[in-house]
Amino acid sequence: MGTGSTGPRLPAVVRHLIPTIAGLPLGPLLTLSLRSLAGRQPRLFERLGEHRSACYFIDPIDLAFAFTVIPDGERSVVRVVRKSETATSSVVIRGPLLTLLSLLDGTLDGDALFFSRVISISGRTEAVLALRNTVEDAELRPADLLGLRGALAGLVDTGILGALGVVRQMADLNSRSKAPEA
Amino acid sequence: MTSGRMELVCPAGTPATLRAAVQAGADAVYCGFRDETNARNFPGLNFSGEELAEGVRFARDHGSKVLVAINTFARVNDVALWKKAADTAAECGANAIIAADIAVLDHVAKNHKQIRLHLSVQAAAATPEAIGFHANSFGVRRVVLPRVLSIQEIAALNRAIDVETEAFVFGGLCVMIEGRCYLSSYATGKSPNLNGVCSPPEMVSYDEETNGTAARLSGFTIDRYEPGEPVGYPTLCKGKFKAGGKTSYLFEDPVSLNAGGMLAGLKAAGVTALKIEGRQRGKGYVTEVVRAFRKAVDAVEQGGDAIEIDRILAGQSEGARQTTGAYKKKWR
Repeated sequence: MGTGSTGPRLPAVVRHLIPTIAGLPLGPLLTLSLRSLAGRQPRLFERLGEHRSACYFIDPIDLAFAFTVIPDGERSVVRVVRKSETATSSVVIRGPLLTLLSLLDGTLDGDALFFSRVISISGRTEAVLALRNTVEDAELRPADLLGLRGALAGLVDTGILGALGVVRQMADLNSRSKAPEA
Repeated sequence: MTSGRMELVCPAGTPATLRAAVQAGADAVYCGFRDETNARNFPGLNFSGEELAEGVRFARDHGSKVLVAINTFARVNDVALWKKAADTAAECGANAIIAADIAVLDHVAKNHKQIRLHLSVQAAAATPEAIGFHANSFGVRRVVLPRVLSIQEIAALNRAIDVETEAFVFGGLCVMIEGRCYLSSYATGKSPNLNGVCSPPEMVSYDEETNGTAARLSGFTIDRYEPGEPVGYPTLCKGKFKAGGKTSYLFEDPVSLNAGGMLAGLKAAGVTALKIEGRQRGKGYVTEVVRAFRKAVDAVEQGGDAIEIDRILAGQSEGARQTTGAYKKKWR
């Protein structure tokens, strides 16, 4: 389904940092992170059932690249791919990066974003639903993905979520300044 | 049956939503197992036995109850899965089992006398005779009322029965006589009453076409949306079809139930519990709706007037189109 995306877009200052991030081995790092999470919280992946072997193509529309994710527990694989490489995917999910991150941390409601077309989804609806319900129940924090615990986890969560909050505010201000007067 | 303080019964599709509902003020939370024994059998939703046991402990620690829906109808010669679900719910310490199938009710009545039995809306019991049969035969303590009764009918029913009644007040609306819907099984081979899925997602597609998006179920076009127009999940009863040369929502407009303004009326009619629909909804939605209804129910219990109740629930009527359903007779 096509996106008429109205979600907050990445501010220019953040977008300029992305080529630097893209130079990092993001795929292997995210793969490692997901496999490590599966080792610590196997129950989280059980909720996906048969859909843990599905290939999810996740396309943040304000980035120059996309990801494919096979969330198969300790056999999970994340790859950074070109935006055209959708052929082997079970599901394609498109939307602004900040909106997709909000789905991950539970800030926004996936149903509302889909039905209002802020994010777009095509492919196997049942796999999307399984992923949505799994992410919804997981209540993931940045420290969970990084495998951190204790005081350090608290510090990292505060830092990353705080930074994300600032970026969201910048994006909101940016979109408001571009909106036509009512 | 007359009631004291009305109980707020809230949905939980996942353990995270259960915790959210309890923390938002639910008196009781209802949920189901991750299989076809409950009427919300969707991918990624529902509880394992272990998760239910943890949920029951969490709810109990916070002064709430857990009601387990085992409310689909068992297959011929294959009731074992439903009996096992009831056994697990009892082992986990659930406060009640919500069931409709006589085989399940009978199993719980004979083997788990300590657990309350609630008659599911799937049983479509709407007469004193039907309710009396279930109460006398299986010791049913509460009946979840079908969404086809007016407040006057509920009041009359409550005067004639001696079990508690639970009424839906918010969320999705089934237009059919509940427990007897064949629309989904006609189109997909899967039934809400037998398999627990109305419009199974593996048969749902959203197809981009020149004139917009077509939402389809098993190849049947259920609705079309203009580019940029908000879309809906395609269920047959809320689809737009052509009949007699006219295109319309043939069975039911895609509206949701909101009986928030009728809480005092439902209390006066003798209703014991108020139910919020939406086990497939996220914890953000559940938190917001439960919090609002918690305040509204408390206000009703303290004798608050209709204006105050409307003000509390005002945020819940924005956006989606809503109806008071059959509670006001004209809806039929």
